[in-house]
Amino acid sequence: MKNDLLKIGDQELGSRLFLGTGKFSSTAAMIEAVKASGTELVTVALRRFNRAQAEDDLYGPLSELKTVRLMPNTSGAMNAKEAIRAALLGRELSKSPFVKLEIHPNPHHLLPDPIETYEAAIELVKQDFLVLPYIPADPVLAKRLEDIGCAAVMPLGAAIGTGKGLATAEMIKIIVRDADIPVVVDAGLRAPSEAAAALEMGCSAVLVNSAIAAAEQPAAMGAAFKAGVEAGRAAYLAGLMPTSETAVASSPLTSFLSGSD
Amino acid sequence: MRLTVNGETHIHEGNGSVDALLDELGANKAHTALMVNGDVVPSGKWAETQLKENDSVEMLVFVGGG
Repeated sequence: MKNDLLKIGDQELGSRLFLGTGKFSSTAAMIEAVKASGTELVTVALRRFNRAQAEDDLYGPLSELKTVRLMPNTSGAMNAKEAIRAALLGRELSKSPFVKLEIHPNPHHLLPDPIETYEAAIELVKQDFLVLPYIPADPVLAKRLEDIGCAAVMPLGAAIGTGKGLATAEMIKIIVRDADIPVVVDAGLRAPSEAAAALEMGCSAVLVNSAIAAAEQPAAMGAAFKAGVEAGRAAYLAGLMPTSETAVASSPLTSFLSGSD
Repeated sequence: MRLTVNGETHIHEGNGSVDALLDELGANKAHTALMVNGDVVPSGKWAETQLKENDSVEMLVFVGGG
């Protein structure tokens, strides 16, 4: 599958696993996980400069990874206006066309605000970003975001950090069926099998953070997710067999063990 | 000059340019993005951008995030 590149807007990616860089125990552990995962796109967040915590600055360590591109997020934004501002700052610093548009004002569930997200997406598309909005698994919203020029949509599998997997699988299948842009499952995944399942159902990629950062061995889990994503994509391309309501034998049922005596 | 930097009062003693403020605060300029009064100021304009009394400056860096 060497030529099976993922196209997002005018950009091409060789890996269908996107990685978040939050929650790792150390920058070194994060870098090792990024390398093991084979990812080519990682998310980063913006925070106020603090001289006392200069070691938290990820720009240096990440810019040394030549195969990895940055996708700044708009985390912390409570509305469209703040998200647009965060996106502009992120682009200024990263020089990357990608933005993960996320607006989730309620810290209790961190679910995306679809109205503010839609409003921000319109403006960011105008400003030539490749907009990847984090959204509820809502097929109508996904299509509307495609119509206004988003480069991909990123429906959630489950709430951020919960590890509850593809709780929204049926809705994601509808989004995939109707979409003419990449669909990336973002948030909720816990196990590589869930990443494989997302790719099998036709998703173009998955974005994983907590599942890798909070694993006992993040780099090993990064490698496991890489394998899961590759298996799921290969299965999708191979074409899964149809399901059946009745049993369909795979061995001949002609009788030969009885009736001869 | 009295400024608000990342939400806190800061008395700037340099020449009042954004560049001078960043130097004063010990920021790594290549790793910093900056807003003045809510407007993003591109790094190419830091030397020529003059701050005024009571301006609000936000200096931001990349940290881990999902």
